[in-house]
Amino acid sequence: MANLKDLKTRINSVKSTQKITSAMKMVAAAKLRRAQETAEAGRPYSSRMQQVISGLAANASKSNAPELLIGRKEPKKHLLIVISADKGLCGGFNGTIARQTRQEIKRLENEGKSVLVFMVGKKAADNLGRDISNRTFAKIENVQGSNVNYSEVERITDKILTSFEDKQIDQVSMIYNQFVNAITQNVVVKPLIPAHVDGVSEKGTVNYDYEPEENELLQLLLPRNLTTQIFSALLESSAAELAARMTAMDNATRNAGDMIDSLTLVYNRTRQANITKELIEIISGAEAL
Amino acid sequence: MSDGIKIEIVTPSEMLFTESVDMVVIPGSEGFFGVLPRHAATLANLQRGRVDIYNNGSITRRFFIDGGVADVLPERVIILAERAVDLDAVSVQQLEEQAVNATQSESSFVNAVKDAI
Repeated sequence: MANLKDLKTRINSVKSTQKITSAMKMVAAAKLRRAQETAEAGRPYSSRMQQVISGLAANASKSNAPELLIGRKEPKKHLLIVISADKGLCGGFNGTIARQTRQEIKRLENEGKSVLVFMVGKKAADNLGRDISNRTFAKIENVQGSNVNYSEVERITDKILTSFEDKQIDQVSMIYNQFVNAITQNVVVKPLIPAHVDGVSEKGTVNYDYEPEENELLQLLLPRNLTTQIFSALLESSAAELAARMTAMDNATRNAGDMIDSLTLVYNRTRQANITKELIEIISGAEAL
Repeated sequence: MSDGIKIEIVTPSEMLFTESVDMVVIPGSEGFFGVLPRHAATLANLQRGRVDIYNNGSITRRFFIDGGVADVLPERVIILAERAVDLDAVSVQQLEEQAVNATQSESSFVNAVKDAI
């Protein structure tokens, strides 16, 4: 039977772990509120942008529509933007992203495309390791949470668009965690180039005056739409990360509690057994006299 | 006013302004244009410049946007701008704080806003 001192140390160490996890949970919960508000504040812009693009795409002539909208004829090189977290301890958050990325790379390569990855956030990059070592297009870290910044995203988009124009890439899609609510995150694979256009909205029927004309306007708007999509994905992912961390830390705190309970039980039993043993020794010693 | 036009100014991080007004003047890329209620449906690219809100014949609010797009329908206008500030609410000092570690495009916007104030 384990000795009392060992048990005591064990219990204390679990207790301090529990303190850490419960503090992390509270920090995540507090940050989550803010992140959720930011993510929600960003939704009107991206949804309206999407509306405008859908309306335009419905009215634009198909023959000379920009490549950003309709895509290239024979897409060979695919860029995958993978958005994960910079920090761990958030349950399956980074793991699911990594798994989905592996699947997606496999699927695209089976279609005969070559795949490049753009890693946003540290953890999925660490997790994928060798799978992406010779496919990396770029890696950035530290652009999430309170660091999400529109200008930063514009720089990312510029880089992607330059490569697109140089024909280094033909298609772009993005994998990220979408924030649903505090306990659910969805991994989403979203096509960016060619642009994903929702079914023709009712706007398609309105006769718009365009200034400048449709295709030129599309040329101007599609790059902006790209920035907007990436920006809102970053916001969503940051909120989802905090939500995942909150849930994970809540579970950890509860597990630590269970562990403390069962260790305390063992501790008390051992203590009683020791006392009983000592008593027996004393009594049998006295009887022997 | 009942027959006003609803205007929304939206940036990626917030809904800056949403109200029903008499008229709005927007910096289109091919020139400023005024929008009154029952304006023809228009989708216009915008350039950097001032958005003026008119009520009862005079300017009541002024915003400064860094380009964007305006979606005009007879009953409402949506202005999507990457960057926008309320000229009456912002101070030079705030702008300077913002400009400290700004990118090139940001700081040129900040300078333009300073001129507009």
